[in-house]
Amino acid sequence: MIGKLKLPRFQSRIPILAGIIILMMIVLTFISPNFLKIQNFSNILLKIGIYILIASAANLIMITGNLDLSVGAVLAFSGILHAYMCKHGVPIPLSIIITCVVAVGWGVFNGFVVGKLRIVPVVATLGTMYIAEGFAFLIARWDGGTNIMLGLPGAYTRLGRSMLFGKIPIIIVLVVIVAVVFLFIEKKTKLGRFSYAIGDNRSAAKLSGINVTRVIIILYALSALLAGFSGILQSSRVGLAAPNVGRMMETYVLIVCVLGGTKMSGGRGTIIGVLLGAAIIGLLENGLNLVGVDYFYQEVARGLVLIIAVLAQQQSGSTRS
Amino acid sequence: MSNDVIIEVRGLTKEFPGVRALKGVDFDIKRGTVHCVVGENGAGKSTFIKILTGAYRRTQGSLKFNGKEFDPKNIREAMDEGISVLYQELNVVDDLTTEENLTLGKETSKFGFIRKSEGLDKTMEIIRSLDDSIELDMPVDQLSVAQKQVIEIAKALSADCSVLVMDEPTASLSEDEVRRLFLTVKKLKEQGITIIFISHKLSEIFEIGDYVTVFRDGNMIGTKSVPEIAGYQDIGSCPDTFDDETVAEACTELVRMMIGKVIVQGYIPSKSDYSTRLLEVRSVSNKRLSNVEFDLFKGEILGFYGLVGAGKTEVARVLYGIDGYQGEILINGEKADFKSVREALDAGLAMVPEERRVDGIFGQMPIRANIPLMRMESVLKSGLISRIKENKIADKFMKMMSVAAKDREQEVAFLSGGNQQKVVIAKCLNRDADIIMLDEPTRGVDVGAKEEIHGIIRDLANEGKSIIVFSSELPEITNLCDRIVLMHDGKVGEIMKNQKDVDVDHIMSVVAGG
Repeated sequence: MIGKLKLPRFQSRIPILAGIIILMMIVLTFISPNFLKIQNFSNILLKIGIYILIASAANLIMITGNLDLSVGAVLAFSGILHAYMCKHGVPIPLSIIITCVVAVGWGVFNGFVVGKLRIVPVVATLGTMYIAEGFAFLIARWDGGTNIMLGLPGAYTRLGRSMLFGKIPIIIVLVVIVAVVFLFIEKKTKLGRFSYAIGDNRSAAKLSGINVTRVIIILYALSALLAGFSGILQSSRVGLAAPNVGRMMETYVLIVCVLGGTKMSGGRGTIIGVLLGAAIIGLLENGLNLVGVDYFYQEVARGLVLIIAVLAQQQSGSTRS
Repeated sequence: MSNDVIIEVRGLTKEFPGVRALKGVDFDIKRGTVHCVVGENGAGKSTFIKILTGAYRRTQGSLKFNGKEFDPKNIREAMDEGISVLYQELNVVDDLTTEENLTLGKETSKFGFIRKSEGLDKTMEIIRSLDDSIELDMPVDQLSVAQKQVIEIAKALSADCSVLVMDEPTASLSEDEVRRLFLTVKKLKEQGITIIFISHKLSEIFEIGDYVTVFRDGNMIGTKSVPEIAGYQDIGSCPDTFDDETVAEACTELVRMMIGKVIVQGYIPSKSDYSTRLLEVRSVSNKRLSNVEFDLFKGEILGFYGLVGAGKTEVARVLYGIDGYQGEILINGEKADFKSVREALDAGLAMVPEERRVDGIFGQMPIRANIPLMRMESVLKSGLISRIKENKIADKFMKMMSVAAKDREQEVAFLSGGNQQKVVIAKCLNRDADIIMLDEPTRGVDVGAKEEIHGIIRDLANEGKSIIVFSSELPEITNLCDRIVLMHDGKVGEIMKNQKDVDVDHIMSVVAGG
């Protein structure tokens, strides 16, 4: 009908994000003498590493137009479960495998409730969040405390503190691997292509013969697996498992994805965006810390960033339609 | 019945970007009558109703209500002036009682507690006068659709409406409920309310209508009194009810007005192989279909034609595994029992859906990524998507269907309607199915693209594919199809062979229910 309407192709947000990152780095260099130190960068990377690990899969869920709010709770639950098993005689490698399998179970449950029973993802995964966190507290209590630290085997911290070539922390290595894998999933696999298709037009995806429910279950399982493994890693690094470490993790993940250009309504987003979004959040927090801003003001800043990011997305969305 | 004019329409025009939905319409609606409005999809009747009820603003022309120029800015303003709509989708809240529904939005409160609304007694009286089986404290979800309609009507009447627009009020009613609704309509008429009645079931007009206006392609084709349509020149000799034969003939006349002159010009027979039966449909029924039977042969184009609501899309939905059914479907002589779209696809069917925006395109994805989605195997290389293969397939189809786009990376949302449709068809063709169904293949597509799409469909049939075309455009059916299934009211009226001088009048009388 509107034959000769010419609209610009979707402008990638990647250059804008990269620009923001460079700008932030320049400003921080001038503000704080401690910013440009290797130790500081290492801290930032370790912190955002966990976000990236979790957000990589959660981002794909968001691309299908769904949401996973249970990642933080699954992370905490998995840390506790792993610590509990290791403390009570299960060999560490076996405990890691069992924990990962249980984590996938949480994801399959999410995927089933969202994909098959068609319960709104916010509500469904919020339910899972409470259940998983509840169990995390229960396991800690079975162990006899509020968290698990004493009595862990000496080798417990080996995985989390291991370094590649004696220099690069394992989390950083994993982030690189995960980023490459998800870039590959997005560009080269049916799973990735179907995720975009479902988020773009779920009904058309169904009529094209795409098994929408199966894709959604696989993605939730993947998301929970990564959250679970991150939980193992984090608990191993600090040599302690606490049932509340995952709190607010889901909002971080949400902010990272939205900042990176992933549309809440689905159909758009990339792992590259997630990396850049995480970098911005990491620099923001680091900068506020270096300048000495009170933690609660940081919370305020984080909330504002989330709202601004969604707003920016809606603005660019409305000019398109 | 006083015969003064309540609504006067002169030169009414509505333009949308690129489309003229109403092209200067003139007619009158008389006070206290039931005035029916009919027309196929896109004829302009809903545009007219939306202007009348304040949902759209006109582009040009005049609309007088009670002799005064009437230009409502929104629905509320039209309601305040006395024009209300009974929508197809009812606005009642199922969880509340009748009383709560009636006072919804009009609650008066004292110290934060809701008080009984003063207008309630009046509304209740109206409800009783229309249907005395409705009690105030009944939860609305226990009421039938017809009873819910009464509540909506009463709400409109209590707001002093003098014109009530009923938008396909019988679409989801049982036969018994239709009787009750018609009784209500008669009571409203006795109270002096003017009713504008929109329906796709033409025979209903002869039960309750006084006048009927036919729209086609944004024009008003005719406004006639119902006795006149039924063949009675002088109203005095007209009986109260019409016999079936008269109604059938009159419906055919209405269909003629709705569809207009059909020029059959382009029909070219396909090289069909009538010895190979690909699809056999035997006594298939469901909620909307009764006893549908037909065959599909190799290399033929089978057309389904009927008015809106005749059941064409419902047949497509059953064949594509979306809706359930009783009866039997055989593919290549074997019983097919698929319950999902994927099973239908596996059985060798593929469909281009009716609503391309809702069910067809992936607007945010480039053309290249849209085309392989029904058969990813076509672009996989050792299990992974090969960009080279994707590009090849995209180029092949874009050339074959002459898709006008900047390049294969253009996002489909930015293409014109015709080009979007070509992409959806390409996606379906890439499936390489033996049976291809196309529901309204050229709706909203410009003339040039239409010809091209028709050419592609003919080529497919000649390559040995079996095609089913569902269309509400008669010329499309008569130009394209080798055999035509005529549908009326969920049933197959007749299956006829197409030919150069096909009897269009006969087609019209069959789809009109004759």
